[in-house]
Amino acid sequence: MSSSPIVESRPASSAVAARAVHASKIYGSGEAEVRALDDVSVEFSQGAFTAIMGPSGSGKSTLLHCLAGLDRLTSGQVFLGDVEISAAKEKELTLIRRDRIGFVFQAYNLIPTLTAEENITLPMSLAGRKPKRARFDQVVNTVRLADRLSHRPSELSGGQQQRVAVARALLAQPDLVFADEPTGNLDSRSGAEILGFMQGAVRDLHQTIVMVTHDPNAAGYADRVVFLGDGAIVDEMVDPTAERVLDRMKSFGE
Amino acid sequence: MFKITIKGLLAHKFRFGMTALAVILGVAFLSGTLVLNDTISRTFDELFANVNEGTDASVRSRSKIDDQFSGTQRERIPGSLVSEIARVDPVAHQDGEAVVQGQLGIYAQMVDAEGDAIGSPGNGPPTFGFNWSPFDRLNPWTLVEYKGENSRAPRADNEIVIDKGSADEGKFRIGESIAVLTQAPSAQYTITGVVKFGDVDSPGGASAVLFTTAEVQRVAAAPDQFDSIAVAAASGVSQTELVDEIRAEIDETGIQVITGAELTKEDQDTIQESLSFFNTALLIFALVALFVCCFLIFNTFSIIVAQRVRELALLRAIGATGRQVLGSVLGEAVGVGVIASVIGVAAGVLLAAGLKAAFAGLGIDIPAGGTVLASRTIIVSLAVGIGVTFVSAVFPARRAARVPPIAAMRDVSIEGTGQSAVRIVSGLAVTALGVVALFVGLFASLDNAIALVGLGMVVIFLGVALLGPVIARPVSRVLGSRPVAGFSVVAGGLLAIASAAGAVALVIAVISRLVDGRAGVAVLLLVVVGLLVLACAGSVSMVIAALAAFRVEGELARENAVRNPKRTASTAAALMIGVALVALITVFAASTKKSISLQIDRAFRADYVINTKGGGFGGGFSPDLATEIRGLPDIAAASGLRFGAFEVDGSGKFLVSGDPGATNELFDLGPLDVSEFDALGPNQIAVSEKVANDKGLAVGDSLEVKFPVGGKREMDVGAIYEVGQREGLSDYFISLDAYQDLFPQQLDNQVYASLKPGVSAAAGRREIEPVLEAYPTADLQDQAEFKEAQEAQIDQIVNLIYALLALAVIIAGIGIANTLALSIVERTRELGLLRAVGMTRAQLKSTIRWEAVIISLLGTVLGLGLGLFFGWAIVEALKDQGISEFAPPGIQLSVIVLVALLLAIAAAYFPARRAAKLDVLKAISD
Repeated sequence: MSSSPIVESRPASSAVAARAVHASKIYGSGEAEVRALDDVSVEFSQGAFTAIMGPSGSGKSTLLHCLAGLDRLTSGQVFLGDVEISAAKEKELTLIRRDRIGFVFQAYNLIPTLTAEENITLPMSLAGRKPKRARFDQVVNTVRLADRLSHRPSELSGGQQQRVAVARALLAQPDLVFADEPTGNLDSRSGAEILGFMQGAVRDLHQTIVMVTHDPNAAGYADRVVFLGDGAIVDEMVDPTAERVLDRMKSFGE
Repeated sequence: MFKITIKGLLAHKFRFGMTALAVILGVAFLSGTLVLNDTISRTFDELFANVNEGTDASVRSRSKIDDQFSGTQRERIPGSLVSEIARVDPVAHQDGEAVVQGQLGIYAQMVDAEGDAIGSPGNGPPTFGFNWSPFDRLNPWTLVEYKGENSRAPRADNEIVIDKGSADEGKFRIGESIAVLTQAPSAQYTITGVVKFGDVDSPGGASAVLFTTAEVQRVAAAPDQFDSIAVAAASGVSQTELVDEIRAEIDETGIQVITGAELTKEDQDTIQESLSFFNTALLIFALVALFVCCFLIFNTFSIIVAQRVRELALLRAIGATGRQVLGSVLGEAVGVGVIASVIGVAAGVLLAAGLKAAFAGLGIDIPAGGTVLASRTIIVSLAVGIGVTFVSAVFPARRAARVPPIAAMRDVSIEGTGQSAVRIVSGLAVTALGVVALFVGLFASLDNAIALVGLGMVVIFLGVALLGPVIARPVSRVLGSRPVAGFSVVAGGLLAIASAAGAVALVIAVISRLVDGRAGVAVLLLVVVGLLVLACAGSVSMVIAALAAFRVEGELARENAVRNPKRTASTAAALMIGVALVALITVFAASTKKSISLQIDRAFRADYVINTKGGGFGGGFSPDLATEIRGLPDIAAASGLRFGAFEVDGSGKFLVSGDPGATNELFDLGPLDVSEFDALGPNQIAVSEKVANDKGLAVGDSLEVKFPVGGKREMDVGAIYEVGQREGLSDYFISLDAYQDLFPQQLDNQVYASLKPGVSAAAGRREIEPVLEAYPTADLQDQAEFKEAQEAQIDQIVNLIYALLALAVIIAGIGIANTLALSIVERTRELGLLRAVGMTRAQLKSTIRWEAVIISLLGTVLGLGLGLFFGWAIVEALKDQGISEFAPPGIQLSVIVLVALLLAIAAAYFPARRAAKLDVLKAISD
């Protein structure tokens, strides 16, 4: 496949939080070769909420993992701001994840032995830093967890657990928050709540969020949707709504 | 289901490998002990069978004293019996002479040209002297050609024949004149021959000097006397017929006649009995190791069952019965047990050789021929190994069988908190039961008290292990706290510096050894350097882990340690047992040393004591030594001290014998009336105040006693003194004049000497030392050196016990590693998450190491507590045996804690590496 056009992010004037340049990820070799990412180039601008969508096996999770430094590319580059993640050593990657990236996963987001508050401050604790009280209160209030801080994960509902995960991802004001199907395990009401918080964090706290999802409703909360198919970017949509995303998905013949 | 069992084993090679390793170690130790035991037994059995091969009847005195330490002491018999027996018709003849041989054994220590003693006096095999028998049938020795010279039997009284082993060691030649130390004044003898004992150079490592009969009798001060008389039967006459004929000929009540077969059996039984203590001790350590294994196996299977709840529930859901699930888990246990036990038995055979070498290294030379692997060893080891594994897996298997099918649909449940009332009540009850058994065993004088004490300890261990989960959570939180971490940082730092310094110092020593060309020593030192480097690395890891405990990693480690209290508790319990026993020995040894030290301070008045090198009871000195010392110009008083076993009112006791007047000046027994004590006569005995009170004795009363020579008799109480067995000495004392009449052998075990006033210690030493040159087994000690020597003797035994207990501690360490490894598998996702949100590999390793430290400290704290308690109880029980002081040594106990910390770091090494290598992406997306 020839190189795909670089998809510009919006607004075009603002700085780029992260970008992938000719990113390819190949599993196996010969007959069994699978191109999970095939020469993908994409940019994510600061202060934007981007959703990556695509059918199963389209490479959306692989793209996220490579952008977050959890997985390595076969070829190409990934940048977080000016830092080339794809060239960083294991230790550097760990520190980048700790200090500059926030994570929200689909499940198993929390350490069961730590309280909600300890889970929220975990990355900063690992760095040996203490969060500023004001910032902590702001984040905790945003996700409405003030009265649940001393609870252990087993004492929280699924939605509350995911709110703790969001608070953890936002606390240190990371350059980028990656969310991998953050609402996949939640009922629609809790899911909508989480997505609302994430939208609010982008709008009010100027966070940058990149979210992988296969749910058109979730994608409807984003500023922009990037569509992946067979490891390549096939389309994008600015200011999406759930309906438009659903229509677009249908047109992929899923 | 069988297929599932096999697949279960194959799928979890690592965890079963660790479990199997523990079982292998335990079984190997058990079978190794049995093999060593059988090997030594057979060696001695063959030895005695050879010694008595041609003897068809043995004639000896009935009068004897049996005692565990010095064996049987028997009265000698008159030589006139030889000619009487020779008249008995069915006696064999050689060259027209009746084959009847009077036998007399003495202590005989050869000295080489450099003035050093042959063998290892005090600790090694005995050094015998015998009379040479001209009768081939009754003489187990064979003269051999040596260094090109022909051997011949000793003819003159200054001629001897010696065993080839000693000849080789002393680099002796035939025709050479050497000094031989006996109870008579030291004398020179000419070697006329070298003998072998059957095929071996020296039987069981013992040295032998063969004199003429007259010379042995002179040396033993036993003119025309023998220990026994060996008789050979004419052809066609059975041993019993011969014995009957001899009995008919010499009809004396004091004389005993037995067959050669009976004699061999008796000798073999005696040696078995004296070895049984040693064997039992080794078996106990093997059982301790296996007991610790039980905890490890129980824990491994519990964790595996907990982790496989979903899988087991699925099996139930698709139609497996509870019994089938039970069978499957137990099948896995049996599989592990069989494989591990088979390997263990094989390893045991190798271990037996290793143990033998280790004992030899510690100066205890065990004679052993070819290795004996009896079918009993194989059966017992396999049965114990498989049984232990099976029994330990029964509870986890029952739990597995009770998993309901619905659990397949639920999330894996976390183990309970372990805080149930049933557990608390039953734990307390079991512990109490154990304490009762322990105290009854210690304080109510029963026959099998030691077994009861052991049982009490085992039950207490089980009780505390039951209570473990209840206390694991609060105690672990304390142990994982910052003050403890601070202590670990300081201790680890000091240890790191010390071991690094030690390693550097040793490297320098190695280089100088290499320069000197002593490569063997250098290699040994390099091994030590390696260990020190490891200790240093471990200490540094510990410091890093302890520093991490001040941050969120410490919180994580602490919470991980307590999230499954049952698991943590039973892992810690395994270590608790080892630590408790180590602490017990440490406390007991320190208390004994302190008590001995106080006793020496109390009673030791002499300036010097001459002791046997190595401090053992083998051998002693000719009374001539005391006489020589007494004759020195600057010596005020000197006396030999002899020990002996005898009977009082039918029960075995020990006595000390010395010159009463001098004894009082040299070793203060605290006589109530000094003049009475000084005047102690040959038919008088002095007793301690305690004995006098217990038996209601006063001076002038008579006491029924029995000695090797002369049998039962009455002795008058001549004096009463303060310092008895309770003070670490003896409850009975007789004069040397009395000893001479009552015991066959006259050797001074120690010689005490005091200097005239105004003579400096150095001057005294200068005067005594030249005398000692003729006594290479003698060691001149002042009070401080004497104390040190006593302590060194205790240390030697204690070190041996430490080495044996190390196995139990190592198995506990494997247990910690296993638990951590299994927990890590369980927490894969969690670890992945931690790594994803920014935990570095180093931080993760520190977290796991600190978790190991917490578990290890939990076991150590419990073990130290129990060890101190056991130590206190035993010291309390032995107050009457001279252990008066309870003295727990702070430094040694701190060292135990440090070792436990290092053990934890070592145990966490592989689990931590495994966790750190975890693929983050896989962990979070699995």
